Amino acid sequence: MRWLDQTLLWSVVLWASAAGAQDRLNVSGDVDLRWVHATGDPSYLNGGLGKLRFDPEHEGIRFGRAFLAPNWRVTDIVAVRAVVDAYGDHDRNPVDLSEFYVDVRPFPTTAVRWRARIGAFFMPVSLENRGIGWTDVYSITPSAVNTWLGEELRTIGAEIEARWLGASSGYLGDLAVVAAAYGWNDPAGALIAQRGFAMTDRPSTLFGGLGRPPTRFYYEIDRRPGYYYGLNWRHHDRLEVRALRYDNHGDPGAATAAGGGAWRTRFSSLGARLEPSAHWTFIAQYLGGDTAVGADSSGDNQLYLNFHAAFALASFDWARERLTARYDDFHTHQLSGLFGPPSNDTGHGWTFAWSHECGDHWQFVTEWLRVTSRFPPRIALGEAAEQVESQVQLAARYRFELGW
Amino acid sequence: MSHVKFKSSISRGSPSQSETDFTFLKRTVATWITLTSLAGSLSVNAAELSVMVVGRDGRGVDEVVVTAISTAVNIGSSPTLRPAVMDQKNLAFLPRVLVVATGTSVEFPNSDSVSHQVYSFSEAKYFHLPLYKGQVHPPVTFDRPGLVVLGCNIHDAMVGYIYVTDAPYFGTTEAGGSLHLKGLPPGDYRVTIWSPFIADAPESLIRTVHVDGNEPATTRVQLTLALRPLPEPKPHRHDWEY
Repeated sequence: MRWLDQTLLWSVVLWASAAGAQDRLNVSGDVDLRWVHATGDPSYLNGGLGKLRFDPEHEGIRFGRAFLAPNWRVTDIVAVRAVVDAYGDHDRNPVDLSEFYVDVRPFPTTAVRWRARIGAFFMPVSLENRGIGWTDVYSITPSAVNTWLGEELRTIGAEIEARWLGASSGYLGDLAVVAAAYGWNDPAGALIAQRGFAMTDRPSTLFGGLGRPPTRFYYEIDRRPGYYYGLNWRHHDRLEVRALRYDNHGDPGAATAAGGGAWRTRFSSLGARLEPSAHWTFIAQYLGGDTAVGADSSGDNQLYLNFHAAFALASFDWARERLTARYDDFHTHQLSGLFGPPSNDTGHGWTFAWSHECGDHWQFVTEWLRVTSRFPPRIALGEAAEQVESQVQLAARYRFELGW
Repeated sequence: MSHVKFKSSISRGSPSQSETDFTFLKRTVATWITLTSLAGSLSVNAAELSVMVVGRDGRGVDEVVVTAISTAVNIGSSPTLRPAVMDQKNLAFLPRVLVVATGTSVEFPNSDSVSHQVYSFSEAKYFHLPLYKGQVHPPVTFDRPGLVVLGCNIHDAMVGYIYVTDAPYFGTTEAGGSLHLKGLPPGDYRVTIWSPFIADAPESLIRTVHVDGNEPATTRVQLTLALRPLPEPKPHRHDWEY
């Protein structure tokens, strides 16, 4: 383990050299405990086809999540960020990385500021998950759209952004174009095809898996890099628009020796967040795409499925309180590769949340979530295709931040 | 103020019991004449100019930069260069708009609990202050007139403005939209106003105002277009940029 010793030694040297500077290392952390009451199908996290994180067999006092998020500013323009997560469920690793990347952001010398990210990170698409550790700041559970993006997708590669800073031209806002190339995301699509959409605050970790048996998402099968490109427009601190086109460029014919196939997954996402006053926030996002696996591109043996989902959210915050209501709508449609009931998932969900900040460290969130869905593969498990699932959660979160 | 001083002078000039009524009258008249002429000459040398900026909705507009420069050559003194401060609080520059004379040194303390990286790539001043909290960097001297747009390389929503001017008289309007410039020699002044939030063409807002020293000169600038929305960055302390 000589390399490990060397790495640790160099880390200590670099840390020590940075110690004299200001605020070089910040570690944010969060511990989240829940009381949960759930009705409906067993959760897919526990081997069922339910869409929620918890189910009647897994309720009461639960561990929500604990994470540490170090942000180390190595130099003025280079930062290293990581999110170390524990979810306390049956994941392969009790503690795992969700993100680990280098963020390079030179000082702007013209109205265009460049930024690069290299490593493993969330793509710039969600308008809900803006908190440290990709937490949803409006409710406990993100929308169906962003639940799926957190479950199956992570950029493991490099991203570059060019942002036009409008203030220097008298415009209060900015416009960015972003593009990335990545690998190790060939299984993306398996979950949405086999389970449909879900609504949970349980994103995947880099080396772990979701469900029983755990499905892993981050490995390379076809040796073909994927890409995405997108736009980000911020107007007067009041409106943010994000558009993204994603294509993992997977080869549906490629498979591992163990039989795991590469999924070709493509989607477009368009979302906007409007903050018209100091108290109100409105978010809407649409995502639509398709996925395919299997070599037989023209025949019935290839599984081909398209999907689309959208949500609208309204949130009102004042002093230390925030109230949020959200409506979700989601659909998947399997067109080929039928070996049983089609994976046609149709449903909608309502979410209501109230969060209360207590001092600098504590946050208490109450959330009620109800999802109505029809998913024929449930019949194979002896359950009705149509299910109404609900979940009440009370979360107590302790947050802290350490700085050196 | 001169009125108050005059009254107290009269009181100090009150006669003692031994003085005759005539002497007292002479002294009083002499004092009156001296003080009146002194007050008059003072007001001629240091006139006041009041500028009021009114939005389309009839309400006064604050944070507007006002500069006054004499239309005659060689009139008006160079302003004394006083160090100025551009603070950073709650993930925003404070004040949002600062006007300084060319050559002024500006301090950039960071009063937030998080670090900032201040920069400007404006023509009038190109600089950046590496990551810091508190007050660790020496003041920055703004030696060229023009507009300097400030940003923070970590928090893109932070935008501030430093208006560097050669004009001898300047300031920013207060909450009611008014600004009082003092100590102007009599003459004609070209008054300009500027704000990042004013949509009217700057040329349409130039006024020529005569200041004669007898009474404060006033000018009112009525905007015809609605103000641009003011930035309202929400300081989400627990955010990363996702």
